Amino acid sequence: MTTSYMGQFLKIDLTRGRVETMPVDPDLQRRFIGGKGVGARLLYDLAPPQCDPLGPDNPLLFMTGPLTGTRAPAMRGCVITKSPLTGTFLDSYFGGHFSPEIKYAGYDGLIFTGRSETPVYLWIDDDRVEIRDAAHLEGKDTFETNHALKAELADPTVKVACIGPAGERAIRYALIACEYNRQAGRGGAGAVMGSKGLKAIAIRGTRSVQVADRTAFNAAVKTACSQLNEETTGAFTLDGTAGSIPFANETGLLPVRNYRDGVFGGAEGLGPEAQREKLWQRDLACAGCPIRCSKMGKIRTGKYAGIVSDAVEYELLGLLGSNLGISDIRAVTHLAHQCDAIGIDGMSAGGAIGFAMELFEKGVIGPEDTGGVDLAFGSVAAADHLLDAIALRKGRLGHLLGEGVRRAAEALGGDAPDMAVHIKGLEYPAWGPRGVPGMALATATADRGGCHQRAFPILNEVEGRWKGEPITQLGLEKKAAIVVEQQNDLAALDTLVKCDFAQYGIERPTYLDLLAAAAGRRLSVEDLNILGERVWNQVRLFNIREGFSRKEDAIPKRFMTDPLPSGPRAGHRITPADMDRLVSDYYALRGWDENGKPRPETLERLGLAEA
Amino acid sequence: MPYLVGHFDRCTGCAICQLVCSARVHGGYNPRRGNLFIQMGPENRVNLPVVCHQCDNAFCLRVCPTGAISRSADLSIPVVDREVCIGCGQCADACPIGMIRIWEKKAYKCDLCGGAPECVAACPADALSLVKETEAAR
Repeated sequence: MTTSYMGQFLKIDLTRGRVETMPVDPDLQRRFIGGKGVGARLLYDLAPPQCDPLGPDNPLLFMTGPLTGTRAPAMRGCVITKSPLTGTFLDSYFGGHFSPEIKYAGYDGLIFTGRSETPVYLWIDDDRVEIRDAAHLEGKDTFETNHALKAELADPTVKVACIGPAGERAIRYALIACEYNRQAGRGGAGAVMGSKGLKAIAIRGTRSVQVADRTAFNAAVKTACSQLNEETTGAFTLDGTAGSIPFANETGLLPVRNYRDGVFGGAEGLGPEAQREKLWQRDLACAGCPIRCSKMGKIRTGKYAGIVSDAVEYELLGLLGSNLGISDIRAVTHLAHQCDAIGIDGMSAGGAIGFAMELFEKGVIGPEDTGGVDLAFGSVAAADHLLDAIALRKGRLGHLLGEGVRRAAEALGGDAPDMAVHIKGLEYPAWGPRGVPGMALATATADRGGCHQRAFPILNEVEGRWKGEPITQLGLEKKAAIVVEQQNDLAALDTLVKCDFAQYGIERPTYLDLLAAAAGRRLSVEDLNILGERVWNQVRLFNIREGFSRKEDAIPKRFMTDPLPSGPRAGHRITPADMDRLVSDYYALRGWDENGKPRPETLERLGLAEA
Repeated sequence: MPYLVGHFDRCTGCAICQLVCSARVHGGYNPRRGNLFIQMGPENRVNLPVVCHQCDNAFCLRVCPTGAISRSADLSIPVVDREVCIGCGQCADACPIGMIRIWEKKAYKCDLCGGAPECVAACPADALSLVKETEAAR
């Protein structure tokens, strides 16, 4: 049968310099569909237990889904590996045009193992695959590398994923820059790529992605596009994620001065109106997406005039803006662009810089640690200084911050760990949880550490409704159920591989119609929920094997001990007892034991007993 | 003759136009196989749709050695008869904006889907228009 799968993986052994194709195991595809699911199982099977994430044994997987590269709206790709920042499973998603190209070249995914002694890049031209010398690309930033490869390969349509100087130095939250202005950002996938001596991947594919039933597929695409409308995703079309700035500020969820507050006086300077005035010029979309949440433009005035940039999205507005006390969108654009260029996750970088600024304010570190630079909140010069020190591992402080706030705090000792805002080592996202206990649980149990994308109960909590029933924002009732349901749902859709925004519009039966018409696999909504639960438990098995248990399913101390100082939920915090109750509720619903380990009957029910 | 116009001010670079074109022409999805493309400006500041002009003095038609490119009866635009095409690539070489592609030794170019272009209908940003030029406008 014709399907939208390409039927094979490309395996690249960088130690031996060997490349081979490998047929996709039909049973693996049947049980895990694609993307996160297939990647989770492959990582579990391929990574030796307790392997060093920055060692040659850690596999680096680029996965697509059955709808990637088709006309199904808003599909993406993902990188899966063991995170050098957290030691957990890591899945990092990227839009843009790189993941479809993997399929156009004839592959459902790329599997890198081993380590090259010298810097190399991989050139995939359909089935002609070469590991090429990359000595001339060393030290180039991600934009320079992208442009240099297109020039070298004499084709501007080649699609490139690459690392910057930070990835080359294995900064633990280095990113992989994907075509174009799209990042596999979180958790240090770029450090893994750097540790393998792999500077870039360039792809050109001329094969077509087929679908099983064209008539049915066209009908499902039409339905999906109609569900991406004014009411569901219109806010993303209008303002991207910058529209969340006023919402987060009014609800007291914005990170301010290393998460000490949730309301920022300068929020207006970061929001959509400020970006429209100072930066944006046009709408930009990922491959096949009608939402066009991105806004391209150029800083037109002031010190940073001339920077061409995509819209600064909400997480970076929070972490490089309000969290550092910076309210000028031009300065935040500059910092975000710098992070992209040197190739580090701007979220973790913002977390690390905010942490350093608080250490400085409290005298834990001083001018002698910063080369005399004053690390005051609000200082763009201080942020610039630290970004440079982090990316190039300059000085003790730069080196420490490049290891992430958890490791830096452990090395500094004293009160430093209390100021390190992370979960499992992943710097916390830009949604302070003190007024939203469901979100606290969602981040505490997110598979890759402090992440807001595995469940997002905030909208239900603030609205006070879930599935038509009333809930209370500050209460604990039903919060575990919301988190479990959303995690399963999103994990299932991450096998396709969906976009976080499009899923607010495209209804679940429509996703299943797209899948059935493209790949010839008809799943029911119930099957989809079980798929998500299976994927979530497969990932949990990996994390359990790597040594994680209940004690890591926790939130940063600050959110439990320090009440919110201002905003509509001033005075609130998540007490340790609240947290304990939420985690217990969650484990019970998940069918996990009191230590967070899936019970045998749970694994049996999900078809994971052999693991 | 009718022809397409691309609007860079509206184009979002999503490539849906290329996807629907490739599906129609080749039976599967790959933007590269579409009969139009989107050029990425420096640093992606702009996306520029590049479409066939359906030229009056069509170089592709003039250089074809086998008569495989001729004016269509209905729209009077240059179209390729792939039964006759020998895949020599003269047409692709002659077009200065890359609007002829050679795939599996046959030439492909935009035929405006016979007068109702699918790319125009599919573009979510209204970045493509079909201009129906009248005799008076010439």
